[in-house]
Amino acid sequence: MALLSIKNLSIGYQTKAGMLKAVDNISFELERGRPLGFVGESGCGKTTIGMALMGLLPGNAHILGGTIGFQDQDLTRLNEDQWRRVRGKEIAMIFQAAMNALNPVMRVDEQVIEAIVTHTPDISPDDLGKRINELFDLVEIPRARIKDFPHEYSGGMKQRVIIAMALACNPKLIIADEPTTALDVIVQDQILKEIKAIQKAMNTGLIFISHDIAVVASVCKDICVMYGGQIVEKGTREEVFRNPRHPYTKALLGSYLSLDNELSVVIPDMRETPDLTLESGCCRFAVNCKTCSSACKADTPKWIDISRSHKALCCDETIIRNSHE
Amino acid sequence: MSNPKKYPLIEMKAVTKEYSPRTRFFSKCQNKVLALNSIDFSIEKGEIFGLVGQSGSGKTTCGRLLVRLEEPTSGSICLNGSPVNKLKGVGLKTYRSKVQMIFQDPYQSLNPHLSIAETILEPLVVNGLGTAATRREKVLHTLEIVGLSPADDFYDRYPHQLSGGQRQRVAIARAIVLDPDFIVADEPTSMLDATIAIQLFQLLTQIRKRFDMAFLFITHNLAAANYLCDRIAVIHEGHIVEVNTANNIIQHPEHPYTKRLIQVQPGFDFNG
Repeated sequence: MALLSIKNLSIGYQTKAGMLKAVDNISFELERGRPLGFVGESGCGKTTIGMALMGLLPGNAHILGGTIGFQDQDLTRLNEDQWRRVRGKEIAMIFQAAMNALNPVMRVDEQVIEAIVTHTPDISPDDLGKRINELFDLVEIPRARIKDFPHEYSGGMKQRVIIAMALACNPKLIIADEPTTALDVIVQDQILKEIKAIQKAMNTGLIFISHDIAVVASVCKDICVMYGGQIVEKGTREEVFRNPRHPYTKALLGSYLSLDNELSVVIPDMRETPDLTLESGCCRFAVNCKTCSSACKADTPKWIDISRSHKALCCDETIIRNSHE
Repeated sequence: MSNPKKYPLIEMKAVTKEYSPRTRFFSKCQNKVLALNSIDFSIEKGEIFGLVGQSGSGKTTCGRLLVRLEEPTSGSICLNGSPVNKLKGVGLKTYRSKVQMIFQDPYQSLNPHLSIAETILEPLVVNGLGTAATRREKVLHTLEIVGLSPADDFYDRYPHQLSGGQRQRVAIARAIVLDPDFIVADEPTSMLDATIAIQLFQLLTQIRKRFDMAFLFITHNLAAANYLCDRIAVIHEGHIVEVNTANNIIQHPEHPYTKRLIQVQPGFDFNG
């Protein structure tokens, strides 16, 4: 059975302009040991999904429909007390801005201790000490430094503390939301290797959110490409990145700059931002789509299967089928 | 511009920049931070020169020195062969109209109280160029160049009504409206999505071609520098470790730090 199973999830933000559907009718499943990556640009709803899984949606967000199935319970129905037992213990998050995610006036080890004690109040001091050493060893922070304050750490070390904190209670599912975005490439490389190694060693479920397709490709086996609150293409990373079918996935891959000059750059003509106030189910990419017909704009897109695991969301089946390069 | 002796457009000669830590009343510690250590490079007319380095390597300091937001501790910066360190008053104002900057964060570099028109007009007004009517024409024309068309549509809007990519286009319009010789672009796309960033790179290339402007492109992304730049300098802890054509830097890196940078670029290897 899948560890996490999301069905037809829709999340909206109440704003002056009306209800913004930040996540529109999304379904996916996650298995342990098969890290799932969400890739897309700012405002595509990827962080909203992460926040929904942590029960941390802001006050003006509403779950408009759908279910989040996790270990025989529907997370959309939990109250705050029940959330407290899940959050951090069963599902943990590695936040984006490590610089701001730590409390500046608490020693680093105390912050991790706090996470453990909150969920296991009757842990003995001996066990606690052992666990702390274990965690800091795992993320390769020297024991001499664990009593420091966050400002004495570099960006990469802070991000490692955030990872240690997320691992503190042996969660079954970890959500990593842009964990390396604030770091430079050399540190990014180390942190990505660490996340991969830890995921393998502990066999946790991992949802990895990033705007950087190469980073997602290096960590995740399965990929969901998001645009305007919808998943527009999903499949294994080989299928999605070697054989993209959705016009947006192609634009995203075409704009990726690599050192490999053989990967040619195609400059997309994407000027418009997707309109999130549209009716649920409309194709959000239509405003930027070059292959779009007028019939497309009125129609509701449907999932078109390319292989058993690879599918794309579009109104026009021929576009998806014939777009093979 | 007359340039009989073939001076490079802009040149940094042995530029060093030190920052002294804030001194406290009783503190003894006086360790200075050497942000730039004897930097030498020159940029030719119409060239896009990339400065690539990690955070803290001194790349932004370099840009700030070039537009004289800061003064070097030692060494000199020359525009067309004449030193700019000592410029004051009118001379400095002329220099600043020839050298412009595009900042990293388009959400912070545009004044939210000024309309797009006012933002782009400001350099013209400050330098007393043209009449109200010709200025308006110039602004509309510049908006078209940076791809904000129809320009009339954007003229009276405010920054909060624009997306990040559009804001950065306004910042570019503000930088080019005085027809400068040289623009420092400090991580102009690091806040933007890939599909938007690549369109901005295309715009910068067009502007370079059309006006023969030179750019210093500051970035942490080696792949972006490779795409955009003619030559690349790799900066590490305040030293330039390697300067070469973009192609040579990527294909035949010599310095171990450059090799390291290339090695850690995430690529589509599906083995992990």
